[in-house]
Amino acid sequence: MPADDRSATPAVPTKGVGGDPRESNDDVEEAPGKIWFRDLDEAVIEADRCVQCASCVAACPSDSIGIDAEEKRPTLVRMCTGCSRCWDFCPRSGLRYERLIQLAGEERGLEEPETYAARATGGPAEAGQDGGVVTGLLAALLEAGEIDGAVVARESDEQPLRADAFLATSREDLLEAGGSIYTQTMGLGQIEDLLADADLGAEPDLALVGTPCTIQGATALGRYGHEPADPIALTVALMCTRSFEYDRLRSRIESLGVDPERIESLDVGGGVLTAVDDAGELLLETDVESFDAAGLRGCDECADFVGGGADVSVGSVGTDEGYTTVVVRTNNGRSAWNRAEDALEATEIERPEPLERLAEWNRRRAESVLPRGFDPDAEVGITYEDHRRAYDGTDREPQPLNPARVHQYEEWC
Amino acid sequence: MSDPTVVSPSWLEAHCESVTVVDVRSRRDYEDLGHVPGAVNVPAAEFRDPSRVAAGKLPSADDFAALLSEAGIDPDDSIVAVCDEQGVNAARFLLTAAVYGHDGRLSLLDGGLAAWLEDGGDLTDETPDPTPTSYEAELTDDAPLVDRQAVEAAVEGDAIVVDTRTPAEYDQSHIPGAVQVGWEDLLDESGRLRPEDELEELLAAKGIRPEERIVLYCNTARRLSHTYVVLGDLGYEDVAFYEGSLTDWVRSEAAEWNPVELEARVRSYADAGGFEAMIEELGEDVTNHLKLIGLYHQKQEGYFMLRTRAPGGILTAEQASVIGEVADEFARAPEEYGGPDQNPVFGDGYLDLTTRQDVQMHWIRIRDVDEIWSRYEAVGLETMQACGNSVRNVVGCPAAGIDPNETVDVRPVVERVSERFLGDPHYANLPRKFKISVTGCHENCARAQIQDLAFTPAIRDGRDGFAVRAGGGLSDGPRVASDLELFVEPDRVEELVEAVADLYVDYGSYLDTAVNRLRFLVEELGVERFREELASYADFEFETPDEVLTTDYRDDHVGVHEQTDGRSSVGLNVPTGRMGGDEFRELARLADELGGGELRLTPNQNLLVPHLADERLESFLEASVVDRYGPDPGPFSRGIVTCTGREFCNYGIVETKNRAIRWARDLDEWSEAVGIADEREAVRVHLSGCSASCAQPQIADVGLRGEVYRDDYESGRAADVGLGGDLGNDEFIDWLVGKVPIDDVPAVVRAVTLAYETDRDEGETFAEWTRRRSDVELRNLVSEAAGTKPAAIGTEAS
Ligand SMILES: Cc1cc2nc3c(=O)[nH]c(=O)nc-3n(C[C@H](O)[C@H](O)[C@H](O)COP(=O)(O)OP(=O)(O)OC[C@H]3O[C@@H](n4cnc5c(N)ncnc54)[C@H](O)[C@@H]3O)c2cc1C
Ligand code: SF4
Ligand code: SF4
Ligand code: SF4
Repeated sequence: MPADDRSATPAVPTKGVGGDPRESNDDVEEAPGKIWFRDLDEAVIEADRCVQCASCVAACPSDSIGIDAEEKRPTLVRMCTGCSRCWDFCPRSGLRYERLIQLAGEERGLEEPETYAARATGGPAEAGQDGGVVTGLLAALLEAGEIDGAVVARESDEQPLRADAFLATSREDLLEAGGSIYTQTMGLGQIEDLLADADLGAEPDLALVGTPCTIQGATALGRYGHEPADPIALTVALMCTRSFEYDRLRSRIESLGVDPERIESLDVGGGVLTAVDDAGELLLETDVESFDAAGLRGCDECADFVGGGADVSVGSVGTDEGYTTVVVRTNNGRSAWNRAEDALEATEIERPEPLERLAEWNRRRAESVLPRGFDPDAEVGITYEDHRRAYDGTDREPQPLNPARVHQYEEWC
Repeated sequence: MSDPTVVSPSWLEAHCESVTVVDVRSRRDYEDLGHVPGAVNVPAAEFRDPSRVAAGKLPSADDFAALLSEAGIDPDDSIVAVCDEQGVNAARFLLTAAVYGHDGRLSLLDGGLAAWLEDGGDLTDETPDPTPTSYEAELTDDAPLVDRQAVEAAVEGDAIVVDTRTPAEYDQSHIPGAVQVGWEDLLDESGRLRPEDELEELLAAKGIRPEERIVLYCNTARRLSHTYVVLGDLGYEDVAFYEGSLTDWVRSEAAEWNPVELEARVRSYADAGGFEAMIEELGEDVTNHLKLIGLYHQKQEGYFMLRTRAPGGILTAEQASVIGEVADEFARAPEEYGGPDQNPVFGDGYLDLTTRQDVQMHWIRIRDVDEIWSRYEAVGLETMQACGNSVRNVVGCPAAGIDPNETVDVRPVVERVSERFLGDPHYANLPRKFKISVTGCHENCARAQIQDLAFTPAIRDGRDGFAVRAGGGLSDGPRVASDLELFVEPDRVEELVEAVADLYVDYGSYLDTAVNRLRFLVEELGVERFREELASYADFEFETPDEVLTTDYRDDHVGVHEQTDGRSSVGLNVPTGRMGGDEFRELARLADELGGGELRLTPNQNLLVPHLADERLESFLEASVVDRYGPDPGPFSRGIVTCTGREFCNYGIVETKNRAIRWARDLDEWSEAVGIADEREAVRVHLSGCSASCAQPQIADVGLRGEVYRDDYESGRAADVGLGGDLGNDEFIDWLVGKVPIDDVPAVVRAVTLAYETDRDEGETFAEWTRRRSDVELRNLVSEAAGTKPAAIGTEAS
C-alpha cells in the first residue's frame, strides 16, 4: 500500500525487533498475528524466557524446530512455513496457560481432585526422589499393560545434573530413571524420535512425566487433537517452582566449591537445596534462593506449581520425608491410580496447608513478574501484538535474534 | 611467526605505551564512537577480500603490507587487535598478520571494546596521524593454511577437523568427520573468554587436545579465526585452518554436489536396490543433494517429485509428448496411497505446470529415473538444476518470437543463459537459489519484479537491449526488484548473469546470515553500491537505458492471438496447472499435426500452442482436449494459481489443488448467477500452501497463504488473506486478515468481488480499487464475510 496510507495504521508493534534484514523492507504488509519461528525466537528464546518445555518442538507440523544439543533450546532446523503453531502452544508466548488449565479442568477434571500421601512398595521406594510413587505407579501400569512406555528423565553420562529424555519400557528402566533431576529434558519434543528408536508396535500408549510447563504443552496439544499428543495416554506433573539452566547450575555449584561430578542427588525442598554424594554425605546445603540466578528465568512467569493440566501431580511438599504428595485430578488419572493400587501405600488426605501456601506464593510471584495480565477467564490465545504490547519496554521484551543462529533453509519450490 | 595470545583489558591498560592497538571496526565507528587511546584503524572490510573465493578471503600480500604501512605499523610491533564483534574480526586481523609473517607479538583484546569499557577503559576521538612505514608482507612458509587435499587427509584421520559454526549449521551440513565447537561456546555471557580450565574441558570433551593436529573451518573463514587465536593462547601448537572453508568444500567438485556425477550415481541404483539402497549407501543427506538434479523427496517416503525444466517455457511437441508419456506411465501412486484413485479430482498419472514454466510430476521412484532420463535425453530434456541452489529455469515471454509487439525475441538469450549454467559445478551451489527472467515484449509477462535478476526491453542510442532489475522475490521478506538503471545488449546478458552470480557467491555467503537471498544483498548494499560492485565484476562498461519499453502488465495468454506471421496462437487455460499426462500428450500430438510442432508453458501455469495456420485453427479448437482446457474459461478458473501444497509437499499446511479447482468451478457458477461473469475477464486467486509463497500470492488479486487458526475450543486449517497485487504498478498485496478458516475463503472471495463490482469507478481495476479503499474497510469486509469475529487486530485505528 502507498506509504502515506501506511502511517495511518495503528500503533501496533511491527514485526521483529531488529537484526534481520527482512524487516527493513515494507513492500508487503504482514497479516496481524502472523508468526514465524523467528518471532518466537525473539520473544522467548533470545529474551531468555524459554523454559525448555519443548511444546513448540512438538507443535511444529513441518518438524522445523529441533533441539540445540548444547543449549537444549529450540532451534530452527528446516524451513519455517509461518503457521504460528509453535507460538500458539508456547506457554511463554501464545498459550495462556492459566486459561488452558481452567478449560482442561472443566472438561476433564474430577469434581473434587483427590490428594494422597503415598509411597511405593519395594524397589521404587528406594529409587525414587521422595516416596518413589511415580516410579512405582508407572512400573505397575507397564506391567499391567496399561501403558507401553513412559517418557521420563535420566542423568546424562558425561554431564552430571543434566537431564536427558528417556523412554522407559520396563521396570528396570524406571528404577534407573527414578529421582529428580533439576534441569529440563525437552522430552515432549522427542517423543517421535524416542519411539522411532524403540519397538513398541503401532499406536503405543505412553505416560509423559515432566514439569508443569511440559504438561501444559502436552495437554494443549491433546485438547486440539494434534497428532504429537496421540501417544500420550497419561500425564504426570512434577510440582515445581523452578527448573535450572544446566550451565548456570553447574557453575553455581562449582563456585560453592563442590564438584558436580560427586553429586549423587540434589534435592530442593522447604526452600533449601541440598546435595549429597553416593555415600550419602552432605556436600551442600544452602538457601535455594542463592541459586536464583541459575534458574530458568522463564520459570518466574509460571504460576502452575501444582501442574494443573496433568492427570496426576506429584511433589514432596506437605507430606513426611519418604512420602510423595499426590494429586489425582482426572478420571484418566484416577483409573491409572486405582490400577496401580497394589504397588502403592496411599492415604487420602486433605490438601496439605504447606502445598496451598507454596502454590499461593508461586502464583503471587508469577503475577508480580508476568508483564501480561494473569487471567484464567481470558482467551487461551495471546496474539503477537498483545504480547508485544505487554512485554515491550520491560526487561522481558523481545531481543533481536542472532541471524547466524537462525539459519534459512531451502524450500520446496 | 608468533602464536597469537589473548590479553585482558587491564593488561592492555598497563601496557598501552608499548603496544600498537589496531581497531578493526569501520572507519565511521572508529571515528564517531571513539576508540582506545592511541589505536590506529584498519577496517576489516579492507583486509578481508570477499571476492577471493578460491584463494580464500585473505588479501594479497601487497595489499596487506600497504594497509599496515599506511597505519604506521612496523613488522616487529606488538599488536593488540580490538573490535566490537566479540573478537571475530580482530582475530581475523591477527591471523592475517600471522600468515603474512608479522614478527612482533600478536594479541587479541579479550571481550573487545565492551570489556574495555566495562573495566573502566577510556575512549577518545583523537585520531593519531601515523607516519607510514615500509612494511613488507610475504606468505610465510609455515603459514598454517591448508587446502582441500589436506582437509581430505585430515578427514582420513591425520588430524581433527573442527567446525567452528553453530550446532544448527553443523546439523545442516558439515565436512564428514568434523567435530563441532562453536566459536561462541568459548565465550562466557559477557563475551569474554571462559576460564582456561573450562575451555580445556570443553575442548577435551570433543577430543581436541593440545597434542593433536587440528584443522579449523567455518563458512567464510571468519569465525575460525577466533578459535585459531584462542587455541594459540591455550598453547595448542599444531593448528591450521582451511581458508576455503565449507564454501569451498561444497563448491569444489565433490561428487555429492556435482550434478553430473550425482545423476550418474542415482541412475546406477535403478537395478541395484532403488531408494533403499541409495539411502543406505549415500545417507539420508542425499535427498538434499538430489534437488540439484530435479528430484525432490515428497512427503511420502521413497517417492519423488520430478521437475523438468523448459527454458523460456518452450517445448517441442516431441518433448511434450515424452513428458506426457512419462507422467502417464510413471507418475502413478502405489496401491497403498490409493493407486488410480489417489486423487479424487485428478485421478492418477497427472502433471503440474508451474509458475516458472517447469513441469512437475509426482510419485517418481528412484528405480524409474534411469529410464525416464534416457527417454528425456533422446529428446533433449533436462531436469538438472531445476531445483536446489542454482540458476533456476529461466523464465521468458511465452509469446517470444510470435508477439507482433515485441522488441527483442528473447529465445536465444534464454537459451544461452540456460546453457551457460547447466551442469556447471561452479554455479551449481550458489548461496541460495537464483531466479532469472527475460521479457522481450512490452507487457512484462515474465514478471520482472519477483526475480532475483530480470531483463525487460529498453533502448540505448537506438540499440535494442534490456533494462536490468535485481533483488526481487516473494517468500518471506518479499521485495520488488530494484531498477539498476543499467542497459545491456542481448549479447551481454550471459556475461551479466555470470557477474551477478559471482558477486552473489562472494557476498552471499559473506553475510553469514539466514537471509542470503540476492534481494537482501541489494537491500543491504543499496542499489547504487550494488551497481558499482557489479560493475567491478563485469568486463564491459555499464550504460544507462535511454528509454524503457515496458508499458503494461499481462498476466496470462489465454485466448486466441494473432502472431507476427499471421498465424495464430491459442492460449489454453489449465486451472491450477494440473492435467493428465495423457492429455498433455494429446496436446503435443495436436501441436505437431496442426501447429508448428511446439508448445509453450506460461508463468501462470497455462499452455500456449503457437503456429496454427487459419485453416487448421478450427479443427484444433474442436479437439476435445482443447475444449476441456478451453480458451474461454470462467473468470475464476482463468485466474486460479496454486502451489503443490499439502498433498505432496513436506511443508504445505493446506491442501491446494483439489480445493482450488472446486472453488474455481463453484465461483464461476456463482459469477454467472450474479451476472458478473462477463464483466470480469479473470479474477486472480492464488493459493499457496504455506508462506514459502510458491503460488506467488503476493501478485494476485486475492492472495491466500496456508495457516492454522485456533480458538479456545477448536483448531483447524486456515488461510491468510491479502488483496490487490498489481505488477503493472509494482505493487504486491498487503496481508489484511490472518487465519481465516479455510472453508470460509470462498465467501470472502465472493464478498470482495461483489464489493468491487458495486463500488468501482469507471475503468478502475480491482487492484486500484483496493488501493482506494482503506485497509481497515477491507479488513472489515474480509472478516465479516468470513464470519470470524471482526478482525481482532488492525481494525481499531484510523
Ligand atoms: C525441576 C524440579 C523441581 C521440583 N520442585 C519441587 C518443589 O519445589 N516442591 C516439591 O514438592 N516437589 C518438587 N519437585 C518434585 C519432586 O522432586 C519429586 O519429583 C516428586 O515428589 C516425585 O517424587 P517420587 O519419588 O514420587 O518420584 P520418582 O519415583 O523419583 O519419579 C520421578 C520421575 O520423574 C522423572 N524425572 C525426574 N526429573 C525429571 C525432569 N527434570 N523432567 C522430566 N522427568 C523427570 C524421573 O525420571 C522419574 O521417572 C520438583 C521436581 C523437578 C524435576
Ligand atoms: S512452521 Fe514450525 S517453526 Fe514455523 S511457525 Fe509453524 S510451528 Fe513455528
Ligand atoms: S518455553 Fe517451551 S514452547 Fe516456548 S520456546 Fe521454550 S521450549 Fe518452546
Ligand atoms: S508454498 Fe509451501 S506448501 Fe506450497 S509448495 Fe511451496 S513450500 Fe510447499
